[in-house]
Amino acid sequence: MIHRIVASKHISLMLICLLLLVCYCTGLIAQDHDAINAPAASSTLHVTHILGFEGVSNNANGDLSIQDRALRFKPHEGSPVQVPIGAIQDLFLGEQDKQVGGKPMMLAKTAAPYGGGRVVSLFAHKKYDIVTLEYLDSNGGFHGAIFQLNQGQGPVLRSELEAERTPGNRVADEATKRNTEETSK
Amino acid sequence: MKSNRNVSSTGLAAALMIQAVLPSQVLAGVKGSVSPQWSVQVNKVESGTVNIEPAFQVAIYENLLDEVTKTKLFKQVFRDGDRGANDLPNLLILKTTVEAYTPGSETRRAVTTVSGATKLKVQSQLSTREGKIVLQREIAGDGHFFGGNLRATHNLAHNVAGAIKQSGLPEPAPSVAEP
Repeated sequence: MIHRIVASKHISLMLICLLLLVCYCTGLIAQDHDAINAPAASSTLHVTHILGFEGVSNNANGDLSIQDRALRFKPHEGSPVQVPIGAIQDLFLGEQDKQVGGKPMMLAKTAAPYGGGRVVSLFAHKKYDIVTLEYLDSNGGFHGAIFQLNQGQGPVLRSELEAERTPGNRVADEATKRNTEETSK
Repeated sequence: MKSNRNVSSTGLAAALMIQAVLPSQVLAGVKGSVSPQWSVQVNKVESGTVNIEPAFQVAIYENLLDEVTKTKLFKQVFRDGDRGANDLPNLLILKTTVEAYTPGSETRRAVTTVSGATKLKVQSQLSTREGKIVLQREIAGDGHFFGGNLRATHNLAHNVAGAIKQSGLPEPAPSVAEP
């Protein structure tokens, strides 16, 4: 009888833990959906700078926008940094699956009894867009920067950048064409 | 008798101080005179025949720049294409080619612990501008347990910097004095 009571107590404890974790995850995922569904009218994107953008610390959160023919990142703490759009060589889009909740969630999952944390891990993940930028500095040095965006925002950034780059590229192409024609004459 | 004791104890103390200070100064002199004369240019990471995500290539490159700078072996660390490195006399070039890449999964790591690791293996080559190879080694970097998949690139860069540190750089050619 005592054994049954103890076992049922354990099971109820485990269920409570799992319930709390699932609630937490659901909240996080709901927040993320709100972020995805937010209108993309303004070209400011809330992103995480993973690494590479000069003058910004790794894993800094901030706003990425295109202003005055430059890609500008304004971290939540610190001064903004920008790169002229003409200096951007390439942009790649990727996708990454990450666990949500950070360290508190990880600790909670580790503390959950009977491997309950592993079950939660199955559901507590989210897909992000990864944008990789390649650009040159004023000395011609090659830089690479990686940003993490909410799913669906990567293509938005790419299309905005392409729209900004097109006129410049056209001018450059025409100049090259003219030079080629002059040389052939 | 008393004065003799005083003299001997002072002498002993002086000898101990000299012994404690001298080796570190000598070592510092050796390190300071040879290693910092080299500069290094980190080239872009080549993917070779391996299908690797551009984010990983860029992350390896940026982490290499950080880790090589941290070694304090080089006078200057240049990026690929930096015009500042063009006319520099004592320049080493670090080339990295990816040889193997196994994409990992953070979720699989969280659920199973044992699987889902990101694995990277590169061929790292440090050579002079003239093509003389100073270091050539296969180096691996894995991302197990905690953190995102890109953590493997940090571990890899750390291992490359460690290999450079262990290799011991050759003495650079003496610079020619301007007339």
